[in-house]
Amino acid sequence: MKESEKKSIPLYTLLIKYREISLILIILILVAIVTLRNPLFLSVDKMLFIIEDTATLAILAVGMLCVLLVGSIDISIPGIMALSAMITGIMMRNHLVAGDVKTSLPLAYLILIGMSVGALCGLINGLIIAYGNVLPIVTTLGTSYIFYGITHIVSKGQAVYRKDMSEAFIRFTRDALSGVNYKTLIMIAVLAAVTIFLTYFRAGRHLYAVGSNIEAAEIRGIKTKRSKLLAHVIMGVLAGLGGLMFASHDTKVTQDLKTGYEMYVIAACVIGGASVTGGVGKVSGVLLGALTIGVINNGLPMMRLVGNAEFWKKLIQGLLILVAVVSNVLLQREMRKQDLQRRNI
Amino acid sequence: MEKIKKFFLHWEWILVVLIVATFAFFSNKLGDSYTFVKLLDQTRVYIVDVGFMALGIMLILILGDIDISIGSTAALSVTVMAVAYKSGEGLPFSVSILLALLVGIVCGLFNGVLVTRFKELFPMIITLSTQTIYRGIAYIILKDQSAGGFPTWFSKRLGYGKVFDVIPIMLLCILLMFPIFYFIVHRTAFGRQLFAIGTNINAARYSGVRTDRLKVLIFAGSGLLAAIGGIFLTSRTGSVKYTIATGYEMQAIAVAVLGGASTSGGKGSVIGLLLSLILMTCLKNGLMIAYNDSFILNLSIGVLLIAVVLIPNITNAIRAREELKRRRQASAVQ
Repeated sequence: MKESEKKSIPLYTLLIKYREISLILIILILVAIVTLRNPLFLSVDKMLFIIEDTATLAILAVGMLCVLLVGSIDISIPGIMALSAMITGIMMRNHLVAGDVKTSLPLAYLILIGMSVGALCGLINGLIIAYGNVLPIVTTLGTSYIFYGITHIVSKGQAVYRKDMSEAFIRFTRDALSGVNYKTLIMIAVLAAVTIFLTYFRAGRHLYAVGSNIEAAEIRGIKTKRSKLLAHVIMGVLAGLGGLMFASHDTKVTQDLKTGYEMYVIAACVIGGASVTGGVGKVSGVLLGALTIGVINNGLPMMRLVGNAEFWKKLIQGLLILVAVVSNVLLQREMRKQDLQRRNI
Repeated sequence: MEKIKKFFLHWEWILVVLIVATFAFFSNKLGDSYTFVKLLDQTRVYIVDVGFMALGIMLILILGDIDISIGSTAALSVTVMAVAYKSGEGLPFSVSILLALLVGIVCGLFNGVLVTRFKELFPMIITLSTQTIYRGIAYIILKDQSAGGFPTWFSKRLGYGKVFDVIPIMLLCILLMFPIFYFIVHRTAFGRQLFAIGTNINAARYSGVRTDRLKVLIFAGSGLLAAIGGIFLTSRTGSVKYTIATGYEMQAIAVAVLGGASTSGGKGSVIGLLLSLILMTCLKNGLMIAYNDSFILNLSIGVLLIAVVLIPNITNAIRAREELKRRRQASAVQ
């Protein structure tokens, strides 16, 4: 009896139930395709590099997951990243000019500043969305203009360059702990923290409840507005951290840092199975979604396509998002149909 | 009396007040460099291309959907136009323009079909992916190069020409659209159906509105309008790169929301859209002269966008709370 039941579970049910499996399959297929063209791609170093390269995207995507879970969205994250990186960069520069190079601000202090700036930005977003009842897209569209504007005013039109940065800050995305890059370690820490928060903390479970059915959550006694605010603050903190990581990686902060990056982040979430209407999504899925984008970004230049592979990147990314979301819908429909048929019999 | 009161309660009056205030402020501050005639010239930059896209976006917002691929649609259409014309060596220019319009329609149609076929998916996600796809195709076609060499009537007459030396030809083209759109959206059964879909799509379907067909049609129309906006933009810039019209979708959404549309559907006004375009022109041009800084310009637009949407919400909330208090008191008295 049990055996036959086990056998009767079709492949696509597995794929749907464990979206992570299908994503791992997609990543493996992508890696296989690139490796067929260029065997150099399949190496431990390269894989580690891809993870390192995707770390920032994954951190931001996990923040976006929290926002998407409550049925909200944040397209102002590049603005938040630019603002936090700029403020931190200017503090570094002022300090370097004032004292001598060795007495630069400690790294932990800088990171704290960047994350608090992000938290403040997230708080503003959250307050307007949750307590002002303005639609998330409109709010964050407006605040992204505002954050970029403030970045510009703060910077007085000047970018922050490598010479303005402290040694520790430049090294913080470059150093490695026994072969594993700091960025990867930060990513693992953030992912673990958010996973624990979303699964074992009441406030984390409330995010799912608010996104699935806001009225039911309200009646149940959940402070829905506070949950929304919390999600946006988490996003802000992680965006602040992400901004610092980009600043350290590029050793440069400009006023238009990473414009348009929010779309990559949303794409990583959607590929990873998060729903834009709220209540659905897992950290593991989002991580795999980010890794999928990372594999494409790093694999395409190695494909030795006709002409410059850079030109194909956009198209393939777009197609991949489309295929991922559409195939998910089709599989779900098929599963529902099978389910209904089985119940009829 | 009641009627007059209702007439002045329209959203559009806020915009009118804001326009007058902005104009008065800047003409007081900047003097001769900020006059009505100079503003008319600047409408080429601030009204025309965004205006066409905002018209399409507003229709989609009325339906309760969203389309963030229009900037890319515009880019792909003008890319096709430029490549087909090949600065005179390829197809005739009229055919190239038709081709661009066709590309716009096809892009919009593709969005519309996907949105209606996969209702489980949020339109934002679908158009997010098509945004990347359309611009990706434009990137593959054009690579890093820019294409140009358009006929003089297109890049000089249309882009910079003026009627009576005052009114830009481009401005006339878009001003012609507004009466047409006003009639379609606010005075026909078709327009009412759009609002019905945006307010309650199931109710609309059960009362016999062909919701899917209308949605596909509106998305295709929005693609067409995006292509037209892109063509006007090209006539102003004179050349095409694959990055052309980046971020225009957000500008168009901002204009439409400022004009009274809501991203949750069922709201929108053609007059409001026109007024918000005028407001944007007054504000942007004034700030540009005063500060010569696009970031401060965007900052003020962001503040304006949020303030304009937030303030009615807050007043409504306060009003609702007072109403509740009044009722409680009334019931306590009883």
